[in-house]
Amino acid sequence: MIGFHELLKHVESTLAAGSSYGEARFHSTRGLTFLFLNGSLIGASTSDVTGVAFRAVYSGGLGFASTSDLSSESLREAAFRAVASAKASSLVLKRGVAMSPSPLGSARYSVVEAKPLEDVSVEDKMRIVGEMIKSVDLKKDPMRVTNYMVVYSETIEYKVVVNSEGVRVESRIPRVSIFYNISASSGERRANRWNSLAASGGLEVLDKVKFTEEFQDDVNSLYINLVKAADPPKGRMDVVLAPEIVGLAMHESVGHPSEADRVLGREAAQAGLSYRSEYRDEYIGSPKVTVYDDPTIPGSYGFYLYDDEGVPAKRRTLIDKGRLAELLHNRETAAVYGVESNASARSTNYRSEPIVRMANTYMAPGDYSFEELVEDVKEGVYLRKYMEWNIDDYRWVARYVGLEAYMIRNGRLEEPVRNVVLEANTREFLSSVDAVGRDLQFTAGTCGKGEPPQPMPVWMGGPHIRLRGVVVG
Amino acid sequence: MSFTDPRLMAESLSRAVAAHVDEFVVSVDIVDSVMVKYANGEISVTQSWRDYVVGAYMTKGGRISMSTYTTSDPGEAIKATIPLIDKLAPSPFHAPLPQPGGSPLSSVDSKIREASLSGDPGGIVEEVDVRGHGNVAGMILLKYSRNHYIGSNGLDMGYEVTKFNGYFRVFKGEESGQWAWVSTAYEPRLALKSLEKAWELASLCYSLPKVKVESGKYRVLLSPMVAGNLLEDVASAASAGSAIMGLSFLQGRKPGDVIASEKLTLKEVPRAENMPGLRGFDDEGVATRDKSIIERGVFKGFIHNTKTARLMNAESTGNAGWLMPRLFNLEVDPGTLEEGELLEVLGNGIYATNNWYTRFQNYLEGSFSTVTRDALIVVENGKPSGCYRRARLTGTLPKLIESVEELSRERWPIEWWEVSIPTLLPHMLVSEMGVTAATSPS
Repeated sequence: MIGFHELLKHVESTLAAGSSYGEARFHSTRGLTFLFLNGSLIGASTSDVTGVAFRAVYSGGLGFASTSDLSSESLREAAFRAVASAKASSLVLKRGVAMSPSPLGSARYSVVEAKPLEDVSVEDKMRIVGEMIKSVDLKKDPMRVTNYMVVYSETIEYKVVVNSEGVRVESRIPRVSIFYNISASSGERRANRWNSLAASGGLEVLDKVKFTEEFQDDVNSLYINLVKAADPPKGRMDVVLAPEIVGLAMHESVGHPSEADRVLGREAAQAGLSYRSEYRDEYIGSPKVTVYDDPTIPGSYGFYLYDDEGVPAKRRTLIDKGRLAELLHNRETAAVYGVESNASARSTNYRSEPIVRMANTYMAPGDYSFEELVEDVKEGVYLRKYMEWNIDDYRWVARYVGLEAYMIRNGRLEEPVRNVVLEANTREFLSSVDAVGRDLQFTAGTCGKGEPPQPMPVWMGGPHIRLRGVVVG
Repeated sequence: MSFTDPRLMAESLSRAVAAHVDEFVVSVDIVDSVMVKYANGEISVTQSWRDYVVGAYMTKGGRISMSTYTTSDPGEAIKATIPLIDKLAPSPFHAPLPQPGGSPLSSVDSKIREASLSGDPGGIVEEVDVRGHGNVAGMILLKYSRNHYIGSNGLDMGYEVTKFNGYFRVFKGEESGQWAWVSTAYEPRLALKSLEKAWELASLCYSLPKVKVESGKYRVLLSPMVAGNLLEDVASAASAGSAIMGLSFLQGRKPGDVIASEKLTLKEVPRAENMPGLRGFDDEGVATRDKSIIERGVFKGFIHNTKTARLMNAESTGNAGWLMPRLFNLEVDPGTLEEGELLEVLGNGIYATNNWYTRFQNYLEGSFSTVTRDALIVVENGKPSGCYRRARLTGTLPKLIESVEELSRERWPIEWWEVSIPTLLPHMLVSEMGVTAATSPS
């Protein structure tokens, strides 16, 4: 481990070399993974991704350098490379980079584990996960589960962030995740369902995410899709969406386009652009729609209290009663907008620069029960789970394909329908929301962005909601 | 322990594990790289990395454990991991490590090596001057890796490889074009050609009328960017690992089955010297070989390591991954037509130049949907007649490869976000794809 003192020494060397800003981050993530295939343990792996990252700003140019060699000589050399990189960047500049004045932290914090990962033996972890897998009933005649894969992963992420402006933040965040894929067939029909369940914390996460129940429910969903469901409806109708799809839509259609670096074009060749470069503070949704991104939710997969620039985390309002509100900022983008950072700088590991990222993005709950959402629908569809989705890089046109869905007639759930497709632009989607449930739920995901790509743990959430008159095809 | 020589480090680590396990392979990679990122026509950041990556594969009594470390003290990390293997259950995947074969292949360009080691992108910023192309975004990567593998099976080989890779997205008004390149050699002309191609596509759409595309079935010309993305999924489905895990539309297929148009030959080419996936031996020490996955439409077989080969009663194809097979480089045989001639053959249809976000509704059937980005060109009577901004291409991988009509003579070496395996391939004309016209973007 590298502490504050050693890191600061190298930050000072970046200033001595002429930088206007220097930053260092010791970043270590240790992990353990088990892979099960069809109930059998295939293998286990461990990882230790540890190193130090430096950033420097020189004449408006931004430089980044990292090393996994923690010797003092290597750290000194990496700090020097960060300055040299910043000088290289300053060669082709128009606007240049500045760091916005923002609240900066000095703190130590750690996620408390009810069942600390380091206190539970490897044998016990394998046994617990193995027993959970075995407890699932895979028999659903005439459907046959042809393959199922389960990946258990735990990580402990430890960071020390310092900069030339007084940041001193040390954090420790353990996380547990279970990813699985189930492939099934019935006659000529075949389908698969993957799912990811994850949170920050210790081994208690396995119980909190209800792995066994979720896995069983997904087996049932495949059975409904393959054996019971009828062909999907087409046309304009009301749609009730389950939290799994609402959360994904908030992440893709509201969270990503609210990333200020995307709005400013810094991700244009990678993760793409944003409709928020065109639409500023106008109404884009119904007054029922309020969307937040909040890193401070205890136990969440995207939890943190200080971002990777040392800015104290807080809840951000992305849409306020239908109107576009805050963007997500790191200090670089905040400087362009003349605002303070709202603590959205995150980096995957020591090889990653801190860029603007989501944490836990969700639609705020309303006051409807599920029954109330359905009872007012004359003819429509209830979309409970999706099997596929995608969205354009402007974040305007999303498509969701249902794994499990039901027709709604005269306020009652009726027969299941397979592969329902919901495709709408962001304004149509958000403007059609006329009722919002009170049952806020979260699902876990790994968000992608950056170059080199930076996978990032996030939660996505929302309650059940009702859309009026959208196109289903 | 010294990190200056990967062989010395691998030797030292192998001594640490040898007494505790039945079999092992230790790998040491020392990787230096520098990347220049562009946005809005300026450099947004220059990044450099020095990574020391140690991998360890161990088996004992049929149990399998693997480790990856980037740490200053891999010796301690490996020692701490060794006890894990005694706690595991025997793996149905286990197969004894094979006798090593082949010989190392290296490809090092001194300019890339020097830039990577120094963290200084050097002259590439001047040689590939984005100024004059307006609003340019993208990146240029220079990377130098040296590696060594030592295994209990007698594996004792290393190699060095350099990589010159990047892409540009150019905006003109609201239109854009994007293109990528990859090579083991320092070839600024590839970067300039990509910049020009992206500029050309953006300019073409800027000059053409904006038209509405009706949803339906179309003949579609896929650029190497798009074809590379979709054919990478075809190649991945040919990995025995995908088949065993139930994630392949080729599950149940046998060598000799006709699965594609006779126009299509898709190869896995680890020995292609100008592609940075270059490997003379795989992670188990088996000699690599260039091979067809699909040859003139005929499926030639799954990609294996020794583990999947044992499970499927086949031979390793020299594509180990320690647990699952891996792909090193891909190549598609060229056709005979110039790109302009392909447009004439297309006649009326769509030319999709870039895509992203390919998702599978169903891996077993290979049914996918992908979103176009950048120039999406409507072709009438063999000529570009208009542009549309965003649409979805839908279909199944089996139908996609069955419907290949023609391929261009010129091939492009592509690697970027959506084409993760270095792939040399031409434009590809397919006779039918679903095109879903997105709702108007504004």
